[in-house]
Amino acid sequence: MKTILRYVRPYKAAAVLSFFLLLIELSVELFQPLLLARLIDEGLANNDLGLVVSLGLSMAGLALLSFGVGVLNCFFADHVGHSTGFDLRNEMYKRLQESSLEKLQGFPQSSLLTRLTNDITQVQNMIVMLLRFMLRSPLLLVGATIMAFVVNARMALILVVFIPFLLLILAWLMRKGMTYFGSLQQRIDAVNRVMKENLGGLRLVRVFGREQHEIKRFFMENEALQASALKAFRYTALTSPILLFLMNAAIVLMLWIGGAAVQNNEAQVGEVVAVVNYATRMTGALGVVGMLITLLARARTSASRIEEVLEGTEKENSGQYNVKDEGSIDVQFENVTFAYNESRVPALNNVTFHVKRGEQMAVLGATGAGKSSLFQLMLRLYEPASGQLLIDDSDARELNITSLRNQIGYVPQEAKLFSGTIRENVEWGLEGAETEEINKALETAQLGETVRALPEQEETLIGQNGVNLSGGQKQRVTIARALLRNPGLLLLDDSTSALDAETEAEFLGALEAYSCTSILVTQKLSTALKADKMLLLEHGEVIGFGTHEELYGESAFYRQLYQSQYGKEAAT
Amino acid sequence: MKKHWLTSPFRYKHPDIDPSKKDSHPGTDRVQNWKQTTARLWSYLAIQKWRLTAVFICVIFTAAFMLSGPLLLGHIVDHYLVPQQLDGFGTVLLLLFAVYIGWGVMSTVQTYVMISLAQQAVFKLRYHLFSHLQTLPISFFDKRKHGNIMSRMTNDMDNISTTLNTSVVQIMTSLLTFTGILIIMLVISPLLTFFTLLFLPIMFVGLRWITKRTRLLFQKQQQAVGAVNGYAEETISGQSIVKVFSKEPRVMQEFEQESESLRHAGFWAQTYSGFIPKWMNFLNNINFAVTAGAGGILAYYGIGTVTIGTIVIFVEYSRQFTRPLNDLANQFNALFAALAGAERIFSFLDEKGEDHRIKEGTAKTVSGEVKFQDVSFGYENEQVLHGVDFHVNAGETAAFIGPTGSGKTTVMNLIIGFYTAEAGEVYVDGTPLSEWNIKRLREQMSVVLQDDFLFEKTVMENIRYGNLEASDEQVIEASKAANAHAFIERLPEGYQTMLGKEGSGFSHGQRQLLSIAKAVLSDPKILILDEATSSVDTVTEMRIQEALGRLMEGRTSFVVAHRLNTIEKADTIYVMDNGEIAEQGTHSELLQKQGRYAAFQQANQQKVDI
Repeated sequence: MKTILRYVRPYKAAAVLSFFLLLIELSVELFQPLLLARLIDEGLANNDLGLVVSLGLSMAGLALLSFGVGVLNCFFADHVGHSTGFDLRNEMYKRLQESSLEKLQGFPQSSLLTRLTNDITQVQNMIVMLLRFMLRSPLLLVGATIMAFVVNARMALILVVFIPFLLLILAWLMRKGMTYFGSLQQRIDAVNRVMKENLGGLRLVRVFGREQHEIKRFFMENEALQASALKAFRYTALTSPILLFLMNAAIVLMLWIGGAAVQNNEAQVGEVVAVVNYATRMTGALGVVGMLITLLARARTSASRIEEVLEGTEKENSGQYNVKDEGSIDVQFENVTFAYNESRVPALNNVTFHVKRGEQMAVLGATGAGKSSLFQLMLRLYEPASGQLLIDDSDARELNITSLRNQIGYVPQEAKLFSGTIRENVEWGLEGAETEEINKALETAQLGETVRALPEQEETLIGQNGVNLSGGQKQRVTIARALLRNPGLLLLDDSTSALDAETEAEFLGALEAYSCTSILVTQKLSTALKADKMLLLEHGEVIGFGTHEELYGESAFYRQLYQSQYGKEAAT
Repeated sequence: MKKHWLTSPFRYKHPDIDPSKKDSHPGTDRVQNWKQTTARLWSYLAIQKWRLTAVFICVIFTAAFMLSGPLLLGHIVDHYLVPQQLDGFGTVLLLLFAVYIGWGVMSTVQTYVMISLAQQAVFKLRYHLFSHLQTLPISFFDKRKHGNIMSRMTNDMDNISTTLNTSVVQIMTSLLTFTGILIIMLVISPLLTFFTLLFLPIMFVGLRWITKRTRLLFQKQQQAVGAVNGYAEETISGQSIVKVFSKEPRVMQEFEQESESLRHAGFWAQTYSGFIPKWMNFLNNINFAVTAGAGGILAYYGIGTVTIGTIVIFVEYSRQFTRPLNDLANQFNALFAALAGAERIFSFLDEKGEDHRIKEGTAKTVSGEVKFQDVSFGYENEQVLHGVDFHVNAGETAAFIGPTGSGKTTVMNLIIGFYTAEAGEVYVDGTPLSEWNIKRLREQMSVVLQDDFLFEKTVMENIRYGNLEASDEQVIEASKAANAHAFIERLPEGYQTMLGKEGSGFSHGQRQLLSIAKAVLSDPKILILDEATSSVDTVTEMRIQEALGRLMEGRTSFVVAHRLNTIEKADTIYVMDNGEIAEQGTHSELLQKQGRYAAFQQANQQKVDI
């Protein structure tokens, strides 16, 4: 909660003002019973009609004043809440954008999204509600007690005895309530998780006929949720009767004392009426305590979830030197070791290789051999644990991270596109690119014909509101996107897996017109054979590096692999 | 935007709304058939009739106690305080105390019972929804976004839960107290009641003015929330791409724009809705003044037996009087939101489930013979299969190849029974699929899907999903057969390693190996491999081929693959194109044919001959 409060600071003045407005609104209201007492005791008792009318009118006037102030309070309270929410939202998004992927790994995507929207809304609501009327209840308790003292000190003493009790019980109830609601939230999350998994694994569940198993799993979580919900809700249901009981007991006592005082001429009827009215107002104010508990409990969980992100992210390290645009890049790995997670087995172990400017290198290796990790390091999405990565002969850590990435055209394994037109997606590669450049990229990616056949060519919308592209088509858009930037280094992470053999061959042919260094991860030996060099990885270690001839001569593993694909006779 | 803080709350951009226009397009909370929905939701509540009756009785008592409080107070003022006589004062005070206690006890009992009824109802509803979803056909899920289905379980359930918890009781209490107060006030002083009631029309006019705006503004806000959500979802799921293309500044700027419009819409929506309590408060206060003033004047002139006690009663009542009205307005909004949610949930429950008919006399064991007879199928507006015919004998292997979108995956989906043929018929063991108990049949099938899903459980549990009864040893055996054992062993905690959300932390290929192990474990009669090896490297693939070769023995197998060497050994190869079978035959037959297959083969070969 502390970190979150920092974000309210820019709006401190407005928050304080809205608090004062609330105070004014409240004190106006608290004057009403006082005026009522005078109306009864001085106006009616003395048959002074003029006083009755003027007191009635001033009560009406005060009501109007209180309304005006209340509306103003709304404006300021909402300003504080929504601006804080806005700042928090932007700040959190910014942190997410700037954070290193390593730190982000800890947060599942769906959870990041709820934190960014729902959780911030919860906190925002809490601020608004607090300033608008939640603080009203405690203020009213204090204010009404003071006013009661002004009217009749003896009766008010009862309140003074009761209120500390009340506050103590209130605090205890709230604390307990918060924990109950905290665990309720966890139960709700658990039920939702089962549901989400079930939807995600829908086909799997059906094929294996595990519906009953899933229903049982859900049933158990659902049952736990029910128990927790009963506890939390019953608890809040219990709070208001307890508080009401206390207040009502106080009212009866006050009446007892008041009655005696009136008889002894130590108090007037109007005074008794006013003090009792104060007490019933306090009772009303306590009614919102249940709501306060729920709201605060939710906001607190939300706040801590937001803080987790704000504190759990870390900026990427960027060096000072820029990478020059020279059409191609020289990449060198020197004894690089890397693990995604300190506790995990290294994904890369002591990897060394060198790809010179303009060369093409294919990376082959079993699943989990560390092929994709190579790319993650070159893109500096992750940092090596030890060893050195040299780009154009300088240490990658000393390079400006943006200038480096701008020189790389990366095509990921799983095609990720954004909603918008095809053109907009390709333009991610190079903002403000000419139409000819885009067409050239599309052509090279073997997408020219497909795009021309679409209703609105490259202006066709894709994604949720547009046409659905097939897996292979999506992959080719990502290829065009990478090519558009005329990269110095092209990274293809098994990016042609969804293309049929013909299209793939044509694409690789067209690629020869580019001067860039290129590294491609591939599953297909036939594709790898076209490259200048091959890198064989196994369990994160290099087990072969060189041309086909070199490898065939040196590596038994490679020979076996080659023969498995082409048979023994093809080897010659 | 550097502006003085004092003026900044008044600088928010007011969204374009036209409150004078009638709401032409129905909002999200419009209930289509609220009578039926209410009755149905009610049936969930009314399972324990006597408890519900108890709640009603409590509600009546609560209202009665609530009403008697101020009455007694007025009585005390008029009969004890004003005449300054205290005979029997203690008894009356005790009576007042008893009323207060009765009120407390009754309202506690009422909420207690109601909450357990409500939570039981929500529990049942949740359970029904989830179980029913398990029976709905796959096409139901294809037509809807997951988020949409999820929000039935989250938002709608939440609304129903809170509404049943409190709203039902509160609406009844409010109605009862409102009527009660009105009657009592009329009996005591019709004239003073008239003054109090004067404010009702003013209140409604004000409330109407506000709610007309808030409804539209909240719609605007909802749209803005959707936009922010959508933008964030897209960019966060593509985080590494954003980074790689150095688009952080751009997405941050675009996000801020979306965020900004949410800020404005949200500010106005909430500010206007904040006016409601302020307005009610104002009317309360004015009412207080008028009751006191008018009551004073009436008492002064001695009109209509108005006493000081009457004023006290009216002052207390007038506060209780507007409150139920305000509550009612709020509660009805909540009630309608809940009913709208319930209606959406019921519409899911009313969706027809998959057919589970069992053909009489059908043997439980399946031999695995599959036949397609003139099968056609289309999604929404796009025809995918046109009159597909083929026949695969039990134990044979059929391979399907063809360009993306040619209908291979659809054929598989039809065999599994995820979709139903539009025309023609799919037969398994000579029985039309529509006559099979589809669940029974699926027990005999196993599928390795393109995008396999893994649970947030251990590796061991994920593989065991193939056969819940399998022992640890059997799971390990299956992993070995699928060549997944080697990589699992290398994991920090071996088979006990936990998988992240949706299998994160594992490569695509590793996830597929696990999926293959699962299929091995389930020991099916019909095996479907949908591009099962497309993401597995050549080395692993070579081993998988050999494992699959063993696995496929004695089973009917359907293989969809891009790579030709994986299907060369198939009994029949079907070349699909545009939803039709263009060619079929064995590898060598098709090569001789010099058709499409041969061309594919050649293109593949060219890459070999460097």
